[in-house]
Amino acid sequence: MTHLLEVAGVAKHFGGLYALDGLDLHVDEGEIVGVIGPNGAGKSTVFNVITGLYTPDAGDIRFRGESLLGRLPSQVTKLGIARTFQNVKLFPNMTVLENAMVGQHCRSHAGVVGAIFGTRKTREEEARIRERAQDALAFFGSRLSGYRQDQSANTLSYANRRRLEMARAMATEPALLLLDEPTAGMNPRETLELRDHIKRMRDERGLTILVIEHDMRVVKGVSDRVVALDYGHRIAQGTYEEVANDAQVIEAYLGTKAVG
Amino acid sequence: MARLMIRTAAWTGAISGLVIVYLAMVGMIERLDTLPIIGTVGMDTILIFVPAAVGGWVVTRPRVVAGERRTATTGAGVVLGAAEGLAAGSVVELGVVLVSALGIETVRQVFSAVSPSLIEIMRFHMAAVPAALVLLVATTVVGGLGGLLSVLPRSVRGPVATGATAIVVVALLRQVIAPAFDQMKIERDWLYSPITLGLTWIGGLVMFVLTAATVRLRVGHRLATILVPSRYPSAVPAEPEGAAAEATGEGLLAEGRDAFGAGISRRGIAIVAWCVIAAIVAVLPYLVGPVVSRILGTVGIFLLLGLGLNIVVGFAGLLDLGYVAFFAVGAYFTAILTGGQRVTFTGYEAPTFGLHLSFYVALPIVVAVAAFVGLVIGAPVLRLRGDYLAIVTLGFGEIARVIFGSTWAQNLFGGSLGMSSITAAEIPGVNLNFQSDPRHFYFLVLVFCLLAVFVSWRLQGSRVGRAWNAMREDEQVADAMGISTTRFKLLAFAMGGAIGSIGGALFAVSLGSLTIASFQILVSITALSVIILGGLGSIPGVVVGALVLIGLPGLLTQFADYRLLIYGAVLIAIMLLRPQGLVPNVRVSRELREDERSQDQWAKHLLEEDAADAPQPTGGALT
Repeated sequence: MTHLLEVAGVAKHFGGLYALDGLDLHVDEGEIVGVIGPNGAGKSTVFNVITGLYTPDAGDIRFRGESLLGRLPSQVTKLGIARTFQNVKLFPNMTVLENAMVGQHCRSHAGVVGAIFGTRKTREEEARIRERAQDALAFFGSRLSGYRQDQSANTLSYANRRRLEMARAMATEPALLLLDEPTAGMNPRETLELRDHIKRMRDERGLTILVIEHDMRVVKGVSDRVVALDYGHRIAQGTYEEVANDAQVIEAYLGTKAVG
Repeated sequence: MARLMIRTAAWTGAISGLVIVYLAMVGMIERLDTLPIIGTVGMDTILIFVPAAVGGWVVTRPRVVAGERRTATTGAGVVLGAAEGLAAGSVVELGVVLVSALGIETVRQVFSAVSPSLIEIMRFHMAAVPAALVLLVATTVVGGLGGLLSVLPRSVRGPVATGATAIVVVALLRQVIAPAFDQMKIERDWLYSPITLGLTWIGGLVMFVLTAATVRLRVGHRLATILVPSRYPSAVPAEPEGAAAEATGEGLLAEGRDAFGAGISRRGIAIVAWCVIAAIVAVLPYLVGPVVSRILGTVGIFLLLGLGLNIVVGFAGLLDLGYVAFFAVGAYFTAILTGGQRVTFTGYEAPTFGLHLSFYVALPIVVAVAAFVGLVIGAPVLRLRGDYLAIVTLGFGEIARVIFGSTWAQNLFGGSLGMSSITAAEIPGVNLNFQSDPRHFYFLVLVFCLLAVFVSWRLQGSRVGRAWNAMREDEQVADAMGISTTRFKLLAFAMGGAIGSIGGALFAVSLGSLTIASFQILVSITALSVIILGGLGSIPGVVVGALVLIGLPGLLTQFADYRLLIYGAVLIAIMLLRPQGLVPNVRVSRELREDERSQDQWAKHLLEEDAADAPQPTGGALT
């Protein structure tokens, strides 16, 4: 069986720095895979090469058996991979609803002519865009719905911005969702809530999820499988317990015992 | 503290004084001596005293000292303003004395506008010593009034200041208002004195009271509420507390009822109000006469340029400084398609390629060509952003000008001598251009402006507009969210170019001839100023921007010599006082409103969360 996403021997270097160095990684349909690793291990770079922001120097990335190399970010999104960013990147001056509606862009077609003449097809499509965007927002309960929909995104609290970013990604109707440190900056209660949300994304919406996370309670709580990176390659993978007790992983996080 | 305030007053006074001296030295005061405003008061007097009053106002504005907002008391306000006025007067008097001492002939070698009659004006046609006293006393009083006005409550300050401004504006716009009165057969001698041609005292008073009342009763705001109900929701804006009520369902129901009950009548009023506006727009040229109609025609041409550029810059966020290219493409292609002849030193010659199409047949072709040019210009700059894009497009604008004016393309576009005999657009029997009747041309322009406004409005609210908006806010993220930035950038250039070219086409047929001198970089800058002044991304803003930046200079011909001076000053003032533009984009104004509200909300939210989380352990190390 082919994997949903397969990263094979991918390398990416910036000058002399090897951010990724022969990385192998795969994600299967319906899985939640946690990616961990110390700072600078190359976690975010993985997301950037998968989504087409960076072009890898070597290796191949296949989604449903099809290579993603040479595709633009917008094309990758259209194929069904959506992402969030480590430092939240919303469209701050657009409303909450509009942000989510942008997510629907790649699933709709209306162009200039339809917009100017307001054809029935365009109006129906616009209604559908709105409905699906609202549906994505409704995933987070009342936090992004109701009166907040028409507020601009920059009025949201930090946690709600993160939620909106996820809703916007979900609105692209992806098969695979890449979450880059979704709980960074959230307080413990919000973190726990989000942990449940990630599980619900898979269980209720059928999304496959690849998540970079530093909070180990979250990693432990959501991951079917954990992949640990260091120096741009995989140093361990398996269940959370296996990875957490792996000697190489402990060394990567804590360093080796001083000799002497 | 008091010392600091006095020092501020002295400095501000000195600056106001220097402004007055400057206005005198460039000849503006003398030149406008004959321009009557109200009674026997001329524009020269206004120019001498207004800077002092404005200075008094500025000095007394509340200021923030060490995080605390300090407002002057009424007494302090008057004293500070008066001190400022006195300082301003002293500087002006110093200038007068200096010029007299040096001798007018000496000063004239540098400042050619200085003349004996200027000194006369600055001395109010009096002897030196009494004149100095009058000047000092007068500036002190005026400065004090400015200070007083500034410390008065807002409800008084706004109406008075606007009323005073209205007197000057109404007096300056006599050329427009008087013919309109005549057309409607309304007696106007009570308003404009037939002798001085300025306002009568009675007329001035009426205008003052009318305007002040308009501001006091917030008529403008009410009108806006009626005209654009969607922008000003009738129900109390959804406060955070409203959310709680909504959760129980009651709030939602109540709001629904409210909107429904008031909805019909509000809608009815809005329709009637819009019909009245439409009627005024439809008969406007016959109210204001041919001269003003011609100005309105020019306003319309720049409105089209503004609307097109607004798509590129305002919607899609691509700073284009070479927009004149589309204006030129529109004008020149219209010329060769509608039988324009090349001007040569020996007469007229047909261009190597030319057709004799009617304007209406030529226009779609011209628009298509411009859209194509948009793609051609857009393609190489796809990867550029911000400043780099601006510089490259600036280059494209110049290239377009050079090509249309070049010798090697002269067999087609007439080179430096340009083209002539461009066939006017016509409806059977009537030529729609400036020569035959600017009032008819107005309607031609109006139709295309309405069309362009409609297209802009539809695009703004569509999927395309949303994609542009997302791209403007963050190109990389827009790309990551599935928007093909290449496609939508090109689309913006093509749409913007298409609309701008209509402006060029109308320009060509309005005059019947064109030369390369009309396609200077100043056109790009003017179009950009129009949309920035009005408010980037705001369609009503473009309309207001075009009226202010193109219409007012056209009407205020008395100031023609100082047009660019005033233009610059106005742009600086507006960018400082109202950076979001005169009629900001809904999104921007909403942001500003909500920013205030969210401050508290944000803090409250944090406090609540903190309280809830206090007992829980934090951290999550690998264990």
